[in-house]
Amino acid sequence: MHGSAVVVGVGETQYYKRGDAPQSEFALACETIRRAADDAGIDVRDIDGIVSYMDQRNTPVRLAASLGLRKLDFTADPFSGGGNNVGAAIQLADAAITAGYAKHVVAFRAIAQGQFGRFGQARAQGARAMALLSWSTIYGLLTAGAECALHTRRFMHDHGISQEALCDIVLACYANAQRNPRALRKGTELTREKYHDSRWIVEPFHLYDCCPENDGAAAVVITSPERARDLRPKPVSIVAAAQGLGPRFGIAPFQPRWLGGSFYADAGETLWQRAGIRAADVDVVQFYENFSGPVMMAMCEMGFCEPGEFEAFVAGGALEGPDARLPFNTSGGNLGEAYIHGFELVNEAVRQVRGASTCQVAKAEASLVVAGPGYCPASTVLFGPG
Amino acid sequence: MTRILGDDWLLPDLDDLNREWFTRGRICIQSCGDCEAVQHPPEPVCHACGASKFTWRESAGQGRIESFAVIHHPVHPLLAKQCPYTLLVVSLDDVPGVNVIGNLNGAEGVPLEVGQPVRAIFEEVQDLSIPQWELAS
Repeated sequence: MHGSAVVVGVGETQYYKRGDAPQSEFALACETIRRAADDAGIDVRDIDGIVSYMDQRNTPVRLAASLGLRKLDFTADPFSGGGNNVGAAIQLADAAITAGYAKHVVAFRAIAQGQFGRFGQARAQGARAMALLSWSTIYGLLTAGAECALHTRRFMHDHGISQEALCDIVLACYANAQRNPRALRKGTELTREKYHDSRWIVEPFHLYDCCPENDGAAAVVITSPERARDLRPKPVSIVAAAQGLGPRFGIAPFQPRWLGGSFYADAGETLWQRAGIRAADVDVVQFYENFSGPVMMAMCEMGFCEPGEFEAFVAGGALEGPDARLPFNTSGGNLGEAYIHGFELVNEAVRQVRGASTCQVAKAEASLVVAGPGYCPASTVLFGPG
Repeated sequence: MTRILGDDWLLPDLDDLNREWFTRGRICIQSCGDCEAVQHPPEPVCHACGASKFTWRESAGQGRIESFAVIHHPVHPLLAKQCPYTLLVVSLDDVPGVNVIGNLNGAEGVPLEVGQPVRAIFEEVQDLSIPQWELAS
């Protein structure tokens, strides 16, 4: 049970440090959508569907006008959270194409944390906190970093995992970024010593465990296999996608069922059933790292290794480079390439299947994206040759 | 007492769901009037049976650390002087099945561990009695 759509275009703007983008977030969105259409070899005006996530400020109606779309037949934006919905956005595009609701759907994310508010800065103000948020705000639980830290600490405790495992995840992202000219961390050397010496943001996360705040935009164009036959790029299939959550999540992520984990066991199982493969069959993975800890939890929940074996699984550079035991975040990911709210991971996963990564694995027929672990609902998408 | 996060830090707006937690002066957990299932934070509907009539189950305020996070980087100017401060996820000895969030008082520099016993304390501010935690031993 899955859709049939294919990715035919990939585009991104230049990536910038927060506040350095010379244009507005809306202009970044327009630029990346044009680039993805150019890459696909279609007229941007033939895009007739737009999907994104996290309550896009750059609304489809405004984009349709500015890009001169001939018509707009489909728009969607999955509910709840943020980067956790990267995979869900692709799933919605796949559904729209498969159902015939649109012919060319663009999925994108534009983000300018210079122009708009920063994720890493609380906005609470006024003498009293909103009742709905009082459970966390009153106690200074204000950021994704703190939330992910609570999950991560418990997971590390339950499975006897040390700080070195988090360090290994971060080092892999920085190592892979050195191969990628788009990566903002290219040229920034990170060592184990420098990692441990860096200041705490929220224990157990050092500075380098936390993704940067960046400006930029990324997009893909999705269409049917039939239409893709007339286009120049080699199509990349959306093999399977899944979003969801297990029982009793609600607003209570710190309740016993969910505390020591990142919500990916259920979505992972759904994805494998739809794809007809398991984690061991995957060739290359892109895991959303808002913080290092959720990568660890999601990797275990998706079935790549047992929690008790995680530290050994990632040790000794096992995640670094194209020949890694598990080729991981091959563009550098959120930590090393740029934090485009995880959408740059979709572009990289598609590039791997195309054979166009700067850290290209020899065989990339099962190319996985795991969206922002740490928030719910989970979402994940698997790409393969079209 | 001085508040753990500083006397200038935000206070909660009260509504029917959070009023008991922030004013009763005892740890209390929402319990379904029909099936007695507990849930936290409170919701208008019982997750177990769908009923919407509730009682409040009082706890003696003894619990254990289920997880913790030490916040070093201030993300709000009002908290700059309070960093580092500690967030706790706490389970209650006498109301199993739910975890609650709070801050830890007076344990600067003490190494923390999952499983450590804690007990509830309360910050009395205006019309509020805000649940917080201290190490029990």
